[in-house]
Amino acid sequence: MAGRWFARFLVLLAFLMLPVVAQQGHPLTGTWSGDWGATATQRAPITLVMDWDGKKVSGLINPGPDSIPIASVYVDVSNWTVRIEADTKDASGNAVHIAAEGRLEDLGSYHRTLTGTWRQGATKGDFKITRD
Amino acid sequence: MTRLAAVGFVLAAAAFAQRAATYDRERKVTLKGAVTRIEWVNPHAFLFVNVRDAAGTVQNWAVEFGEPLELEKEGWKANALRIGDVVTVDAIPARGDRNQAFATSVVLTRTGKRLFVVPAQPAATTPGRQPAPRWPDGRVRLGAPPGKKGYWGPASASALVEETREKIAMNREGLLADLSDADRVAPFLPWAKAVYEYRQRTLLKDDPMARCLPPGGPRQFQAPNGFQFVEQRELGRILVLLGGGDRNWRVIYTDGRPQGEPDEVVRGYYGNSVGHWEGDTLVVDSIGYNEHFWMTNGGLPHTEALHLTERFSRPDFNTLKYQVKVDDPRTYTRPWTGGWTVAWVSDREIPEYFCEENAESTFIR
Repeated sequence: MAGRWFARFLVLLAFLMLPVVAQQGHPLTGTWSGDWGATATQRAPITLVMDWDGKKVSGLINPGPDSIPIASVYVDVSNWTVRIEADTKDASGNAVHIAAEGRLEDLGSYHRTLTGTWRQGATKGDFKITRD
Repeated sequence: MTRLAAVGFVLAAAAFAQRAATYDRERKVTLKGAVTRIEWVNPHAFLFVNVRDAAGTVQNWAVEFGEPLELEKEGWKANALRIGDVVTVDAIPARGDRNQAFATSVVLTRTGKRLFVVPAQPAATTPGRQPAPRWPDGRVRLGAPPGKKGYWGPASASALVEETREKIAMNREGLLADLSDADRVAPFLPWAKAVYEYRQRTLLKDDPMARCLPPGGPRQFQAPNGFQFVEQRELGRILVLLGGGDRNWRVIYTDGRPQGEPDEVVRGYYGNSVGHWEGDTLVVDSIGYNEHFWMTNGGLPHTEALHLTERFSRPDFNTLKYQVKVDDPRTYTRPWTGGWTVAWVSDREIPEYFCEENAESTFIR
């Protein structure tokens, strides 16, 4: 039994020791995942895919059948604050505006994070996403 | 200067590269005490020394020095020191309060023999000015002539910067002496300048090469342990064998094939390279880079849009002239050019070196 646990431990250790390959180009380029919500218990998962084309950052929120195109991304490189805006519709077909403002942390890390406030329609909460 | 000392410099310089975030070159420390452990491991050997401080407290220091395989080639075996030997070590201490240092000199007290030293200047291996070697058809050879050995070693510049008349002060790792010089390094887009400054301010701590990722782009020609060209003319290609990183190689096709389409090329650390000769100059066009590496010491950023045009020439036997045009409109406001020369290392093979991530963390407590 102990041997089996030890074997599992070794497998986990080997996984943790796998080298990570950092994306070193524009800091927002890549896939980001995390969640947002008004409270600590009411959270909705979010995935953002962003890319830098040399002039602007574009991308999608929650890629797939219900994806939301990102309308604009503003980055202040003096303090690495980011503002993301998008427009979608709720279940009733009403227009909903999304505005997220956050700050990039640990810029050089593979798993850098973007945290801040997320406003979706009338609901305001916080968000944290990590680059995958 | 002894041969061992000269080798010591090359090895120590190679070992010290990409270590600015670990060691504080502005400080020095002298350690005297008994050796408690010797870790003769690739890529860097370590001594552990018990040092008594002014208060009488004994502290164990980890002292990093040369590359074991190369040191062994030069006659310094792992058993040159024994556990319990008292040594005096001059070293560069680690940042913070860790008991770790990078040796510049190790003296064995019982004999007074200096086992390891980093001289102030590297030993030049330039046996006079000779013409560049040539193939029977007259074309310049980029490698060693038949019956000889050697490789391309130290680069004349520590980092890639835009060619201007003004020199930009920086250290061997590409850290600027004055961060306000960043604008003079390259014509950055705002985000790229901010990233470059971040990397400089954080003393290159996120350098992918320090984690054993390959030195893609121009950096492969300024990496420790050098490189060599293998010209396979019958196959229409030139191999670049790299001593830096993990002894990687790069292929430059010279068989006349066209460059690939950017959207179809599989992105990698060394790109997709096609070359042709213009007189005595090899001109290489490369696209298809990933974003996982820094293209030069010092941390210049790039994107997948990077397009390099490299020009290699050999004005004499011992000199390789390297010039590169950087075209990445997602990172720089315009194409720009930089370069350096590389010195030939005669009668030696590329040192056997394998980068191993976190090798030292397995034995430094």
